[in-house]
Amino acid sequence: MNRITSLLLLASLFGASASAIAALTSEQIARLPQPAARRVEFSKDIKPILQGTCAQCHGRGKSKGGLRIDTRETFIKGGETGPAAVPGDSAKSLVVELVSGFNPDMVMPQKGSKLKPEQVALLRAWIDQGLPWDKDVFFGKIEPLNLKPRRPAVPSAAKGSGLTNPVDLLLQPYFAAHKTKPTKVVDDRAFARRVFLDIIGVLPAPEELVSFAADKDPRKRERLVARLLADNERYAAHWLTFWNDALRNDYRGTGYIDGGRKQITAWLWRALHDNLPYDRFVAQLVNPAPDAEGFTKGIVWRGVVNASQTPQMQAAQNIGQVFMGANLKCASCHDSFVSDWTLADSYGLAGVYADGPLEIAKCDKPTGQQATARFLYPELGAMDPAAPKAERVRRLAEIITCKENGRLTRTIVNRLWAKFMGRGLVEPVDEMDGKSWNADLLDWLASDLVDNGYDLKKTLARIVTSRAYQLPAVGGSERTAKDYVFRGPVVRRMTAEQFRDAITLLTGIGQAKPDAKVQLPAGVASNIAVRASLLAADPLTTALGRPNREQVVTSRPSAATTLQALELTNGNTLADALKRGAEKLMGGGVGGREDGRELIDQLYLRALGRKPTADELRLAQGFVGKPLRAQGVEDLLWAMTMLPEFQLIY
Amino acid sequence: MKAASQLTRRDFLKTASAATLSALAAGRARQVRANDAEEKIKPTAHTVIVLWLAGGVAHTETFDPKRYTPFEKGLKPEQVLSTFPAIDTAVDPIKLTQGFERLAKVMDRGALIRSYTAGDLGFILHSRHQFHWHTGYAPPQTVACPHIGSVIARTLGPLNPAVPAFIDIGQRFDVGEGEELKAFHTAGFLGSEYGPFLIPHPNQAAESVRPPAGMTPGRFEDRNKFYRKLAAASPVGRHGSEYQRESLARSMDNAHRLLSSPAAKAFDLSLEPRESVQKYLPEGFDAAKLSAAQVRDGSYEAQTVGRFGLGCLLARRLAEVGARFIEVTSEYIPFLNWDTHEHGHTRMVAMKQQVDGPISQLVLDLEARGLLDRTLIVVASEFSRDMLVEGKPDNIVKHQVQVPDTITDIKHYGMHRHFTDAGGVLLFGGGIKRGHLHGVTADERPCRTLKDRVVIEDLHATIYRAMGISPKLAYEIEQRPFYVTRDGLGKPILSLFA
Repeated sequence: MNRITSLLLLASLFGASASAIAALTSEQIARLPQPAARRVEFSKDIKPILQGTCAQCHGRGKSKGGLRIDTRETFIKGGETGPAAVPGDSAKSLVVELVSGFNPDMVMPQKGSKLKPEQVALLRAWIDQGLPWDKDVFFGKIEPLNLKPRRPAVPSAAKGSGLTNPVDLLLQPYFAAHKTKPTKVVDDRAFARRVFLDIIGVLPAPEELVSFAADKDPRKRERLVARLLADNERYAAHWLTFWNDALRNDYRGTGYIDGGRKQITAWLWRALHDNLPYDRFVAQLVNPAPDAEGFTKGIVWRGVVNASQTPQMQAAQNIGQVFMGANLKCASCHDSFVSDWTLADSYGLAGVYADGPLEIAKCDKPTGQQATARFLYPELGAMDPAAPKAERVRRLAEIITCKENGRLTRTIVNRLWAKFMGRGLVEPVDEMDGKSWNADLLDWLASDLVDNGYDLKKTLARIVTSRAYQLPAVGGSERTAKDYVFRGPVVRRMTAEQFRDAITLLTGIGQAKPDAKVQLPAGVASNIAVRASLLAADPLTTALGRPNREQVVTSRPSAATTLQALELTNGNTLADALKRGAEKLMGGGVGGREDGRELIDQLYLRALGRKPTADELRLAQGFVGKPLRAQGVEDLLWAMTMLPEFQLIY
Repeated sequence: MKAASQLTRRDFLKTASAATLSALAAGRARQVRANDAEEKIKPTAHTVIVLWLAGGVAHTETFDPKRYTPFEKGLKPEQVLSTFPAIDTAVDPIKLTQGFERLAKVMDRGALIRSYTAGDLGFILHSRHQFHWHTGYAPPQTVACPHIGSVIARTLGPLNPAVPAFIDIGQRFDVGEGEELKAFHTAGFLGSEYGPFLIPHPNQAAESVRPPAGMTPGRFEDRNKFYRKLAAASPVGRHGSEYQRESLARSMDNAHRLLSSPAAKAFDLSLEPRESVQKYLPEGFDAAKLSAAQVRDGSYEAQTVGRFGLGCLLARRLAEVGARFIEVTSEYIPFLNWDTHEHGHTRMVAMKQQVDGPISQLVLDLEARGLLDRTLIVVASEFSRDMLVEGKPDNIVKHQVQVPDTITDIKHYGMHRHFTDAGGVLLFGGGIKRGHLHGVTADERPCRTLKDRVVIEDLHATIYRAMGISPKLAYEIEQRPFYVTRDGLGKPILSLFA
């Protein structure tokens, strides 16, 4: 049946509907909410109404009654009952008539709650003001971005460039387009400090730096990276922090008091130590054995919980955010106003984890509709919503980790890029609906991960052996500017854990036993037991930005704050470590008691990877006194660890 | 020695606008542009002091006297509404209960809400209700919710740049439910710049704004000077300006200024004359034994008594030098202090003794200094208690205390279950009416709220209004607005304002 006949049929069957097309009477017009008396802003005032009320049936590829609200033009054109709006005249606009509900048989929206008078007033003002529409707002069907895998061709190296790393080859056109000529790479010392901190989280020992500098092998940087990546214990101890934040795994925290939370520490430690391929890593979290189920079990407080925060909804939100870069938080209460995610999408994913039927609630009010278990992107594979839970969860893990899911791989390679470069190829890193500033690079890194059997260490190696990573660090800013141009890694701040570990290395003072329950291989325990990633939060690490892990955290704020500096300046934890550290240094180990020179040299080498300049040596010698004073050494340690050169990663 | 109150405005200015500067540096959560619905509000207060009676304070035993039934063996629990007789206050129709004689005298300076009702959060967990009270949101939440003190710190900034904008006094976190307490003692997504400056022990407050233990001021200065020289000599210090380095340098400057600021003296209770300290301590408590107040040995007020009073004294000193938001807690420790699961009456006597003097003295002291008009004091607790009803009469939740059919032991004489359908909140100063009563509760069990119910959103909206902040104010997180009262729905109780 074509549209016209169907409309005729409808009209003849329901005489009342014909009257809907008739204009409103003047008496009805008088009863309409008055147009808002101010200038409306499309994106703020109108877009949420269209998104929340109309788009479900008239947008994203749907066209009930022939109406599509994809663009201003299609909106005005209307559907089977004629133009939806007359720009400049809201009283004559069909849409106003339908939403104001004079005719109970033809009231819009047909599903969900009706528009409030304030909303009608806004709609009227919008139409009266000529129906302005932001060009970039489109309610039509959009191909999900960053979903399908894509393997761009790697350009060949420009003549004489000597570039071989695909990352650099892919960046060639970018640099050319931005008229940027990458300068030479950083020196050995800066490179070594970077990769030590980035791969295993600790400062390089002075001996390491000496032998690295002396090494004449042109491939020594690749070799160093390979060696660090093979250091499984220290690699695991470092990356534990990143994944604890992302998977909100902590050794203490809310929920444990009532058995409403479960650690995954032992599993996570093993997975990192053994470099579990990322597809299996994700699969084991999505469809977990008991030791990994903490992630999808969520955090349960005693008492009743809002429908948007049940364990199943938490699982949906966290799987969406961490693995897919999809923010379902808005869409856990109602259809999102800022993205295309709907309540049904969130509940569909939550439904996979439901033990029985899961009723959809809108803003904590039951709707009577049941969730249909499915993944966010049906195009990746179907799921039988009626299958038992175990089967649904198994199938979900299979769908998420299938090779066609280019979103999974793009999300993780983007996180790694952001971690090393200070800014992602897509920002924010949890909103992978956004465009990359270099799609070829993002897509290639993602497909390269698949080609490498989902081995994240291979991706790490790709990135940190690139010339791009080895460029001198550039000053960044907290805000992610729209006009960002990549010129090299942004100067970063050590994490709380890196700082604490650096203090431990410098002073030899640290906690002997881990708070984390991990199975450490015999013999290595003494080396890594004191790594900060294995300790519960303390005032120092909290001040330096270790999150409490009540929510998923995928990037920590890097700006220094006053409360942080107060903790560094007079907090007990650091003061105690420095005091004991100075005593230890005075007690032996480092010589040079006569003029402090040897001690100062050693401390500079350990802390900054270099010897002091003549100026610095003179200053420090004058300060620590002759003969050395323990308090002088303690305060020298403090001053050195407060230096930007120490705390920042250049 | 020069008392904090004598410090001049110029002293503070000299300490530079430390926190303001660093706030500019930190990545701040963006304020969502005010919309039309958000009115401009003229503030009636510039400082808030929350006095937190942690653990659930039975309204019928404190601010809302009902029929008094003295203890005798063989009482039926249903007979007992209150274990204290009512007393008169400075304001004729307002009655309080025995044990609040000093508060009764200052009732003409404030307003009393009797109809505060806590949220319906199911099976009771104190810390969860406290989270709800302090953030306006019940956990868990998809974003880290900021404490009301952080919202005020972020929105208004410090009153005196040399004093942290949000100071929290009296709560330790190595206690039961400590993790749950930590979860709301935070600025959440607003960023740690706005987090609480924590002072667990009021009489050790000076140490938190002083050079590290054992370091003389001279050495502290030398260390700082040396650091500056060393930083200037560092090769990376030489090449151009750069955001991270500047942010770090600025934060270090700020910290140093705060630590060497004259305002820091306000933190030092030892500068307070002995007789004025004594006014904040319970009768018979020797101010010389202050160190006992640091000890916690598993018993309750006998050891911690005095800390709340000292906290109130510290709050006064900090309010004098321009703190923005101060909270003093009687400290939440499960089953201790106000959390009376048994011996309710006996312990209530002691807890009243701990707070009656300090709260009223704080009101009087601020008044004497001309600060009460601009300082809003809020005395509150997470919910009330009752002998029989757990939760609300029409929404009973799983009870946690066995109540015998007949009371034969004094330990069963008291309010031991958690009641969420009424509760008292005292407000003083900051533009609030004097001698005013808000809300009515039933005279018979369940002594529930009958009229003018106040929920947390409205109480917050009232506090925000006094500070000139709209309940519809929102901050952007992950592209969506986070309202300072849930969904922007808080309605200030306008009848409370003078």
